[in-house]
Amino acid sequence: MLVLGIETSCDETAAALVEDGRTILSSVIATQMDLLKKYGGVVPEVAARRHTELIGYVIEEALNKAGKSKEDIDAVAVTAKQGLIGCLLVGTAAAKTMSYALNVPLIGIHHIEGHIFANKLSNPDLPYPHVCLTVSGGHTMILYVAENCHYELMGTTVDDAAGEAFDKVAKFLGLGFPGGPVIDKAAQTGNIKAYKFPRPLIYAKNYDFSFSGLKTSVINTFKEQVANHEALPLPDIAASFQEAVVDVLVAKTIKAALERGVKALSVTGGVSANRRLRANFQTAAERNGLKVFFPSLSLCTDNGAMVAAAGYSRLMRGERSTLELDVIPSTPLEMTRGQD
Amino acid sequence: MKVLGLDTSHYLNSVGIIEGERLLAGVTSSARSDSLVKIIANIDFAVKRAGLTLAQIDGFGVGLGPGSWTGIRVGVTVGKMLAYATGKPICGVSTLEALAREAFNANTLICSIIGGGTKDMIYAALYRQLNGAVKQEGDYYVGSPSGLAHLIKENVVIVGQEADFYAEYIKSLNIPDIKITEIKTIPQGSTIASLAQARLERGDKDNALALTPLYLKESAARIYQEVK
Repeated sequence: MLVLGIETSCDETAAALVEDGRTILSSVIATQMDLLKKYGGVVPEVAARRHTELIGYVIEEALNKAGKSKEDIDAVAVTAKQGLIGCLLVGTAAAKTMSYALNVPLIGIHHIEGHIFANKLSNPDLPYPHVCLTVSGGHTMILYVAENCHYELMGTTVDDAAGEAFDKVAKFLGLGFPGGPVIDKAAQTGNIKAYKFPRPLIYAKNYDFSFSGLKTSVINTFKEQVANHEALPLPDIAASFQEAVVDVLVAKTIKAALERGVKALSVTGGVSANRRLRANFQTAAERNGLKVFFPSLSLCTDNGAMVAAAGYSRLMRGERSTLELDVIPSTPLEMTRGQD
Repeated sequence: MKVLGLDTSHYLNSVGIIEGERLLAGVTSSARSDSLVKIIANIDFAVKRAGLTLAQIDGFGVGLGPGSWTGIRVGVTVGKMLAYATGKPICGVSTLEALAREAFNANTLICSIIGGGTKDMIYAALYRQLNGAVKQEGDYYVGSPSGLAHLIKENVVIVGQEADFYAEYIKSLNIPDIKITEIKTIPQGSTIASLAQARLERGDKDNALALTPLYLKESAARIYQEVK
């Protein structure tokens, strides 16, 4: 079954063709990096306008790269839940039209479920049940994944997402945008022990996260040093900050996995591309007899392939969306059902 | 030639199918925040009502706006993907021109107005009828109703969903020696189809994938960026 996956929930206009939920025939991503750098972040109206300009070209290129024609498409999957409403709307309008005009099934997907499936695409042997940490600029959650498409939320961020903290700290330190890659790079030459930043909620009994206080602590440290005319070792600040975020993410996810007695961990989302996060997870997982899985780097950030893979799974369960499919900017993943 | 036209620019969702001068089917529903929900169902309803299948439609027309930014993005995206998926041609049409077309019999100046979301912001354009069609005079207007009134110096027919309101307003300014009439109407999918048909019959069409809405106004962020 050839599924066209469409993703426009934030700043990437993406489309992909995936065969049977496993084989990626093409995955095209048009980033809005030029606009993001200009505005220092995502501006919803600007992003929605760009999606409208690009969506058709991105879908056409996905078909061309896969060597397929429109008529070969068996179903259309689209991110319709969780994201910027004006952005979700463009992809969903395109998906509904393709589904209607080609007379093939349509399935609306929750954005976070897409990220969960990015790991299944990269690692078909990812076992169930497992604990999944999904972490990006828009969310940070720990989920217990009992089986395919069956999620239980264990913890989430009470304020900023981890990726959002990376973005804000990077912006404040003048390192640029997006924060993840620039901090990852700056931290390479820094000392992780140079600064003692807090590890918020690391010992809390639940699995929730909080990154707002850590972000403020980094910003205050920076301001104090500027006020005292001290030297500003940006790599050290970046490395110490990154270490604090990674420590919390690793510790809580491992704890969740041990509590639920699973043998496998899945780490997904944009932040899962972070090199320090991957290294520390690997070490901690081995120490605790767990196996950790990461998506390939190209599937960490938003893409259409993960949406197609999630859509395939939902379709196989007999779920369909109607042509009245609407977008929902914020809705819990556990509530996800394909029929609406 | 059977042409399907759609417009979602003005909190309305209008679809019409025409063949030559004949209206085969038309459906209009209000769409405050559910343009996306209803649009495909409305298209499907119109196609079936006309006794056709989507494959029998020879071309498409889509209202590019101006109007509700979210609304026009839905319409333009649906329009371009319909044309792409069916392989049929499409023409983008200014929604203001579609409104002016409702007054094509007028011997006077025609002024199309679409509300811009706030009381002091409107989108407008001036037209004059010429050989059964309408021809735009000058640029599009974006601004306050009072600013628009200053551009009107002769007899005029105001066209739009709130034409009566704007006609009253301009009358209240007591501009000497002019007569103001109004046609209260909405942008119709069938009118969009008719304007598109005229171009399609000449072999003229737009690049479907490149179609973009007629925003007429930059987003606040871009204006801020340019000022900086």
